Amino acid sequence: RALRAALRAARPPAPALRRGLAKPAGPRSVRQLREAEEAAPVFQYAGKAAKRKDRVFVWGFSYSGALGVPSFVKPDVGWKKRRRIQSTPYRLETEQKISSAACGYGFTLLSSETTDITKVWGMGLNKDSQLGFQRSLRDQTKGYEYVLEPSPIPLPLEKPQQTRVLQVSCGRAHSLILTDSEGVFTMGNNSYGQCGRKVVEDETYSESHLIHQLKEFDSRVVQVVCGQDHSLFRTKKGAVYACGWGADGQTGLGHYNITSVPTKLRGDIAGVNIIQVSSYGDCCLAVSDEGDVFGWGNSEYLQLASVTETTQVNVPRHLPFKIGKVKEAACGGTGNMVLTEEGNVFVWGYGILGKGPNLIETAVPEMIPPSLFGCSDFSPDIHVAHIRCGLSQFAALTNRGELFVWGKNLRGCLGTGRMEDQYFPWRVTVPGEVVDVACGVDHMVSMVKSFM
Amino acid sequence: LNAAPGRAPRQHVRFLPAPGGEVGLVATRVPVLADHPLVRGPRFRKLKIGAGHRLDVKASGVFVLGVGHGNKLLTDLYNCHLTKVYTVGGLFGKATDDFSDTGKLVEKTTFDHITREKLERILAVIQGTNHKALLMHSNLDMKTQEAYELAVKGLIRPMGKSPPIITAIRCLQFTLPEFQLEIQCLHETQQYLRKIVHEIGLELKSSAVCTQVRRIRDGVFTLDDALLRTQWNLQSIQNAIWDCQLKVKTEIEKTLG
Repeated sequence: RALRAALRAARPPAPALRRGLAKPAGPRSVRQLREAEEAAPVFQYAGKAAKRKDRVFVWGFSYSGALGVPSFVKPDVGWKKRRRIQSTPYRLETEQKISSAACGYGFTLLSSETTDITKVWGMGLNKDSQLGFQRSLRDQTKGYEYVLEPSPIPLPLEKPQQTRVLQVSCGRAHSLILTDSEGVFTMGNNSYGQCGRKVVEDETYSESHLIHQLKEFDSRVVQVVCGQDHSLFRTKKGAVYACGWGADGQTGLGHYNITSVPTKLRGDIAGVNIIQVSSYGDCCLAVSDEGDVFGWGNSEYLQLASVTETTQVNVPRHLPFKIGKVKEAACGGTGNMVLTEEGNVFVWGYGILGKGPNLIETAVPEMIPPSLFGCSDFSPDIHVAHIRCGLSQFAALTNRGELFVWGKNLRGCLGTGRMEDQYFPWRVTVPGEVVDVACGVDHMVSMVKSFM
Repeated sequence: LNAAPGRAPRQHVRFLPAPGGEVGLVATRVPVLADHPLVRGPRFRKLKIGAGHRLDVKASGVFVLGVGHGNKLLTDLYNCHLTKVYTVGGLFGKATDDFSDTGKLVEKTTFDHITREKLERILAVIQGTNHKALLMHSNLDMKTQEAYELAVKGLIRPMGKSPPIITAIRCLQFTLPEFQLEIQCLHETQQYLRKIVHEIGLELKSSAVCTQVRRIRDGVFTLDDALLRTQWNLQSIQNAIWDCQLKVKTEIEKTLG
């Protein structure tokens, strides 16, 4: 009996103190696996009504502040280095959904269609008050010369909580803001009358509070376009008004002088319903509702050589191209581009036109093969939906939301990640569907919708 | 193979004593004794068979084999860098550790927000980024006129080692939770395709596993040329080799010159 008690004491402890190895060992059977799978929790990352978010991406030269990311110019943390060039798209956080963006020569304007007080933000160069007056925090009497972050631009609106800003446009040192009910606001350099007001001799444009409002047009203005030192306004009735520098005939008013009051254009445009105007350098193009193209301005680079040998054209002339009905036109510094109804892109002018290194200049539009934009037997329904021009760059948006760029890669403005010039359309990898893009001299801004 | 009638034995001229007891030698054509089947033995004692591009254990489809001289043609075909087409089936809602439906479950997610349009958007982006990779790995200088002309025709492809590149991808069927894609790719492995399915699930804010990978074309060989398990006999193999000879020769000449 004593032996049995000793054996009982030497037995392992009671089950309550044992570790919980209650499951049998060995691989689980198919039925057990299936039951474990069905019992696993289900996670939801996006509901059925998940909306696609709107984002803004910027890339290009950052030291002017035009990208709106202050840490590229003045790093806020010790380990960050100054970034001179952002060669791939970088996301810019904005408070509101940006509906229109414009890139000028070293500065950017973003605008939203909100009814809040702040509708327009500007960043970049402000030496001519092209971004309005930005009060310096350090010295309340002075303004900033370089704005590194998107800063609100106060507009003298009569009904700030009802008026909406439809579109913005930027030139070399001036900018235009189009509203739906209060006309056009202009700010910046006015030495050639490009702001639509009388030229004041020896006016200092930096740190100026002056924002001019333009209202006298034959009907509501629906599009504003800035050339290098001139401005174009297109009204609902299909007329085009111009003001600013005219030495290359870019105002199209029949003379080569400065115009300081927006004046209606005549020539081949008189009576024609114009549906789109475009300009960035010193040449201008207009598209009518019938699909015809009209041009005026600088023709030193064969932009208008199909109708005239002169290098300056100061009256709008019809360009008789037999390429089909034109839907959209875009003017660059030395090259022009049009988009037809079928979705084909035609280029002409001088520079890197997009058909390889051998095509440097042509006076007659040449088509860019659709296969370069992704159209193939596998996906035959891809076509170009919109086109935009920078000073020496071209951009095309397809109907699938892809962005193609080509041209001179000045300080990384093409966004391809490489610093070399691009001689044919090259895809820019943007994490989203590109809705619109604005091209400048050395930077670009794009409005993108996220995939989900 | 050895039972099939082989080459006829070679003939040579030998001077044999004249028949019928005549004096002198007569030249007669007799078969070479060295060619006699009992002297030579069976014609084939072993066959060299080489395999083409790898196919997983879990995948199925066209698998190219080369017999004898075909091994050299296999290396030539490999250097042509032709694309392969796969049909990949996927299932939304699950994520596993090896990206296929037989793996260990990692996570389950909802998928009712996914539509065919969203999937096609993601596929367009995948195609776009891979097209860029195609141009970059082809080691061509983008600034030359030849690069432009090849890009217009769509003939640029990497002619050396490169990471897996998808040249075309599209959705064949879409019924939630299952979907089927057709993927045309270069230098890939089947596990890479399963990973692509998993990543598509992640991009769509859900998860996906791959249920089926089937190769339907490998360079010039399609499903029609492929032999089924029941057809693995000498006659069909010989017929298949005979039918494909011309196709392979033209393709190699076209690409490698």
